[in-house]
Amino acid sequence: MLPKFASVIAKTREEALSWLSSLENPRIIAGGTDLMVRMRAGKQYSRVIDVAGVPELLTMTETDGRLSVGSAMTHARLSTSEPIIRNARSLAMACGLVGSPQIRNMGTIGGNLANASPAADSIPPLLIHDAVLVLESKETRRRVPLEEVIVAPYVTSIDRKELLGSVEINPLRGYREGYRRVAKRATWAISRLGVAFAIREDKGRFTDVKLAIGSCTPMPFRPKKVEDLLKGAEKNEAIITEAIRMALEEIKLISGIRPSYAYKLPVLKGILEEVLRG
Amino acid sequence: MKTISFVLNGKKTSIEVDDNETLLGALRERLGITSVKEGCGIGECGTCTVLVDDEPHYSCLTLASKANGRDIKTVEYLSSSGVLHPLQEAFIKSGAVQCGYCTPGMLLCAYSLLLKNADPDARDIKEAISGNLCRCTGYIQIEEAIKNAAEICKCDR
Ligand SMILES: Cc1cc2nc3c(=O)[nH]c(=O)nc-3n(C[C@H](O)[C@H](O)[C@H](O)COP(=O)(O)OP(=O)(O)OC[C@H]3O[C@@H](n4cnc5c(N)ncnc54)[C@H](O)[C@@H]3O)c2cc1C
Ligand code: FES
Ligand code: FES
Repeated sequence: MLPKFASVIAKTREEALSWLSSLENPRIIAGGTDLMVRMRAGKQYSRVIDVAGVPELLTMTETDGRLSVGSAMTHARLSTSEPIIRNARSLAMACGLVGSPQIRNMGTIGGNLANASPAADSIPPLLIHDAVLVLESKETRRRVPLEEVIVAPYVTSIDRKELLGSVEINPLRGYREGYRRVAKRATWAISRLGVAFAIREDKGRFTDVKLAIGSCTPMPFRPKKVEDLLKGAEKNEAIITEAIRMALEEIKLISGIRPSYAYKLPVLKGILEEVLRG
Repeated sequence: MKTISFVLNGKKTSIEVDDNETLLGALRERLGITSVKEGCGIGECGTCTVLVDDEPHYSCLTLASKANGRDIKTVEYLSSSGVLHPLQEAFIKSGAVQCGYCTPGMLLCAYSLLLKNADPDARDIKEAISGNLCRCTGYIQIEEAIKNAAEICKCDR
């Protein structure tokens, strides 16, 4: 049995925002795959607002070359969506690896972001696409880069009265793009390591490199110094070796030495080698 | 409490549910559908699988109120015409049922797969049942049964 709570089911964005504003201590539920597990473990929420069926949160639009993804879109839909596969291949791949088929049919991208797990699979791909979250309340609307929204593991700057409406991303075309994940098994396993990459090369040079690493540090991050080093550089083993050394150094700087690094860092090195060599 | 209306195994159904009730609880306790089982209660076994608009969901992590307006199918749907579905026949023939605890969920995932893909290969089949655990068969018989059923369903078209 779940702890007692009262729920309302929002039919529109307007309705969701009204309830967020009027209800005391509201808690949004979308797919429920994180929240229900927490409630089952005894966590109490007094008022729950179900936004999974809000049409405005289930649409994808393209404006000014940016792609806007509704927060209640499921991993299953995103992993098979043509515009996502074409514009953000790493995101389609990551969403296709989340949990299990049932979890992907239920879990949403908004829930994945708002839960802000260090191992959330959608976060590294969204980082390389410079994702911006659209956060709305009855009175306000703000657009905040994903990097700034996640402030600590499982902690975001999203206010309890705010709705994550959509996620805007920069399409990447002409890049070699993907997502590599290491987990104890293919299904039902939290990522031990996740690497999103998008690389453009021309005549033996890296013209642009975007990398994001998840599950290694308290929050998934982009090693920007490594990206800068590679940008414009001639592609050779020496520069790849130096780039990887810098990436591993940065991780140790962020997190210190962790027991898991005896395994993780050599594996990460191998993944980065493969990804950069192409 | 909320009144919810949905289509359950092809029949319109209306029930009252508590706000904090799961779909699993509502199906078992209010509607007597005990083929939907609670194994883990946290999304890690698949015995509670139901089809929501023909896609597999874990009913243990689904609020009952989410069923409102949806099409819900449990394994009873497969034999609602009074004869076993080719998938069920194939499960029996292949020895894909041992204790039977995982069977309803496996059948529903297989049924959902065949709706979308009439000619699944071994990978498609493995993927379709990857959210369901079986502690008895070792999966090989289940995969074989789904493959055989797909062949039979193709011939029936
Ligand atoms: C068995 C299992 C396996 C899993 N495997 C993976 C995995 O491999 N990779 C992975 O990344 N995750 C995994 N997860 C975690 C989970 O499925 C994902 O994080 C999922 O995307 C959460 O989405 P949801 O819609 O179900 O979130 P919910 O549980 O509905 O919500 C999660 C949090 O987000 C908030 N929220 C949701 N929507 C909004 C919104 N629109 N605005 C503001 N706040 C919002 C909620 O209030 C809540 O705090 C797994 C979970 C389970 C149970
Ligand atoms: S009881 Fe729902 S997945 Fe185990
Ligand atoms: S037959 Fe016993 S769990 Fe599958």
